[in-house]
Amino acid sequence: MKNRITVICVSLVIFGLLIYTLAAIDTTDVIGKRSIGSFNAVLSAMPENVAEDGALGGWAITSPGGERFIWSRSSDPDMSYDLTLEFDSKPFLDAGLNADMLPEGMVMGEKIVIVSALDGGRPTDPGAASPLELFREIVRSKREYINYHAALDHFGIKIGNGNAFEWGKDIGANDKDIVFVLDPAVFIDAGVDPSKLEGWLYAKVKTMDESGKPVEVYKFLKPYNIGD
Amino acid sequence: MAKEILKITGMNCAACSARIEKVVGKMAGVEHVSVNLATEKATVVFDPDTVSISSIVEKIEKAGYGASSFTEKTMVDEDKLKKEKEIQTLWDKFIVSAFFAVPLLYIAMGPMIWWLNFPIPSFLEPMQYPLNYAILQIALTLPILVAGKNFYTDGFKAIINRSPNMDSLIAMGTSAAVLYSAYSVYQITAGNFGAVENMYFETAGVIITLILLGKSLEAVSKGKTSDAIKKLVGLAPKTAVVIKDNKEYEVPIDEVETGYIILVRPGEKIPVDGEVLEGITSVDESMLTGESIPVEKKAGDQVYAASINKNGMIRFKASKVGGDTALAQIIRLVEEAQGSKAPIAKMADIVSGYFVPVVFVIAVLAAVAWFAAGESLVFSLTIFISVLVIACPCALGLATPTAIMVATGKGAEYGILIKGGEALETTHKIDTVIFDKTGTLTEGKPEVTDVITVGDTKRNELLQLAASAEKGSEHPLAEAIVKEAEKEDLEILNIDRFEAIPGYGIEVEIKGLNVLLGNSRLMDIRNISRTELCDRSDILAGEGKTPMYVAIDNKMAGIIAVADVVKSSSIAAINMLRSMGVEVAMITGDNKRTAEAIARQVGITRVLSEVLPQDKSNEVKKLQAEGKKVAMVGDGINDAPALVQADIGIAIGSGTDVAIESADIVLMRSDLMGVPGAVRLSKSTIRNIKQNLFWAFGYNVIGIPVAAGFFHLFGGPLLNPIFAAAAMSLSSVSVLTNALRLKSFKLLG
Repeated sequence: MKNRITVICVSLVIFGLLIYTLAAIDTTDVIGKRSIGSFNAVLSAMPENVAEDGALGGWAITSPGGERFIWSRSSDPDMSYDLTLEFDSKPFLDAGLNADMLPEGMVMGEKIVIVSALDGGRPTDPGAASPLELFREIVRSKREYINYHAALDHFGIKIGNGNAFEWGKDIGANDKDIVFVLDPAVFIDAGVDPSKLEGWLYAKVKTMDESGKPVEVYKFLKPYNIGD
Repeated sequence: MAKEILKITGMNCAACSARIEKVVGKMAGVEHVSVNLATEKATVVFDPDTVSISSIVEKIEKAGYGASSFTEKTMVDEDKLKKEKEIQTLWDKFIVSAFFAVPLLYIAMGPMIWWLNFPIPSFLEPMQYPLNYAILQIALTLPILVAGKNFYTDGFKAIINRSPNMDSLIAMGTSAAVLYSAYSVYQITAGNFGAVENMYFETAGVIITLILLGKSLEAVSKGKTSDAIKKLVGLAPKTAVVIKDNKEYEVPIDEVETGYIILVRPGEKIPVDGEVLEGITSVDESMLTGESIPVEKKAGDQVYAASINKNGMIRFKASKVGGDTALAQIIRLVEEAQGSKAPIAKMADIVSGYFVPVVFVIAVLAAVAWFAAGESLVFSLTIFISVLVIACPCALGLATPTAIMVATGKGAEYGILIKGGEALETTHKIDTVIFDKTGTLTEGKPEVTDVITVGDTKRNELLQLAASAEKGSEHPLAEAIVKEAEKEDLEILNIDRFEAIPGYGIEVEIKGLNVLLGNSRLMDIRNISRTELCDRSDILAGEGKTPMYVAIDNKMAGIIAVADVVKSSSIAAINMLRSMGVEVAMITGDNKRTAEAIARQVGITRVLSEVLPQDKSNEVKKLQAEGKKVAMVGDGINDAPALVQADIGIAIGSGTDVAIESADIVLMRSDLMGVPGAVRLSKSTIRNIKQNLFWAFGYNVIGIPVAAGFFHLFGGPLLNPIFAAAAMSLSSVSVLTNALRLKSFKLLG
């Protein structure tokens, strides 16, 4: 009996210390550490495609096909949006899109923009104002917007309503290095025939709903290889 | 030829006992070897000129087991302590293991059960902190592996000795899971965070924990098996009072020899078998015979070791000592019966003999074939581990014990204690049930059944006088009369004079009346006419009752008949057994007339009467020789050999401890409906076990080719180890769910 109590006590102490140690260190933090590193790899892989965006107000990364992911540049409260996806409207119009049926403000000239504000306010401007520093600040203060998909080994940033921008953890090692992900429902409701949409994939992807339940849903996907 | 019994340690399953039999049997000079897994003993018959016992011990130790010379002292004392320590150690290991397995399972499986929303600290989110998640799992798994280290040491040792056992299956299966998980952790540290989904630490941890639980329960059951023998050995007194040169000497029982004159005082146990030389007494032989009524002994009568001398001092001449006493013979019979191998052990032999090597060979061949076909080493390793993981004997290991656990629990709810899986397995095959009479079919407590008067004597007057006369006696027949008088609120009168007439009855004076109470011989020697009551007396005897004559002032006054009444459940139980197609018989030491009277009352036609205690097991053997599967139901020590000889021994809970310990099934409520109930429960359980084994084997049969990549050859799916683990878990869930169905079992259908 005495031995048993000793074993349990020692085990409890070891267990407590382990929990404390694990909680204290963040070197194994995939979201907090590796997502920033791999995002930096994306930025470094196409430096000429990363620039400030005057019109929407943010840092933008432009894909070889012209789609853009824009993230907030400052903490200016006048700025309406923190995260934006922007892409050509033509393929969608050609596939039957009735632009009037999309929510107001979604079509801006020849572009479609999907915007999202971060819950609870945007991150504080770190001052340095480099694209990476600002992204790091989003990760630090709003990490719930970032996720890691183990099966496909990539990260993603949620832009609301099932839309996202995704990038591979290891540029070059992944099948696709960056992917623009759109929820198709709003477009299909506005007349888009997925089978006629040029340049975008209409495919089922595995994801999790808000309760954590694994689900398979259809998405419009535009992937690019940007690594060597 | 010499015969030696060795105590064996380190055996885990039937394959171990088979291994020892094989290695010892091959030695020159060894004529016969039999290893009993239940009692952990080996009986070796050998030629001492050719081979020594030390070389046999050495050979056993070389095979990976412990062996030492066996003595009764070892068994009763040291062995008992050793067993208790072993059970305690196993429980400690299980508790430590379970302590870590529960959080391990929670951490590993919690995120998969998304609908239950198990909270997990954010720093342990596998998709955010995979290394934390992995390190915690390792930390939780390591103590479990340490607790189960014997599975690895014994299991791998058995593989090295080319005699894989159940431990080998557990060791290989869990090692595969742990090694693959460790490889996944390495992948995580190398930056492949997706490997977080390929960890199976919880698989290994939970398997070890469950097996430790099973081993603990098994050790408890094993300990109880040998308790029967220990209890029998413990019945014999340690010393005897020997008369030499008219002086009394108390000597150890081992030093008593045949021909010694032994003195036994009232209340003492009779130390050895012998013949009474002088003195009159009554002896309680219930520990040997199960019959509650003490037997009167006088010069020339036989007395038996371990029976209790009640009220007189006797001297007797020892005729059988040591291993020759009736008690020693019973002990030997119990030991021999326990030596027989269980059918379930054959299944274990088959599994351990073929399953592991076949699976291992398939895993190696599949991995080598894929590597040779140009696949990467990692791919081939995945195939190898997938095969081992899906073939992990988790469900196979759970198939029988879970069903047995639920069934024995259900049986206990109905007051049917079943001692392990072997008993459950065998009971469903029973086609013949033999009931002992006294205390089994009957209550075992005599009651007044008839009060017959003659002349002017009133019924209550006769009963009152008889009860008053017997008030001071502890004889069961006397107690029955007193109890009946009390039941009828009759006043017990003071007696003026009391005289016991050994072998006949008593004579008392009550309120000036001379009352004689006793058997027919008492009336005859006092010249009291029995003519009026002779026929009634014969009828009563024919009904299995004991008639006692009462005479008042030397005139016949009547008869009080006492009998052991049939239990209320006996007839219903026998009818139910018949309706199930089971043949029913009764066995008793009583004379044919009494036996048949009781048999008629309960509806039994096959009666085995006037059977001596030591011959009961022979009657069981005879039925077995006819090809019958026999269950023996009894309550006395005299039933113990028959209980162990029978395919299934069923003891009544109110019976003697030895009968209970010798039996496979104990009916706690003394309700004989438990007998057909046990048979029905066994049938349901065996059906359930077969279904479980089907599921357990089914998953392996389907899963192994898939895991080996057979379907991948034709463009089909490749079984990822995670699916292998899921299939394995599913098979366990199927087995557990199916076993739990037994909870709805109803005793009477």
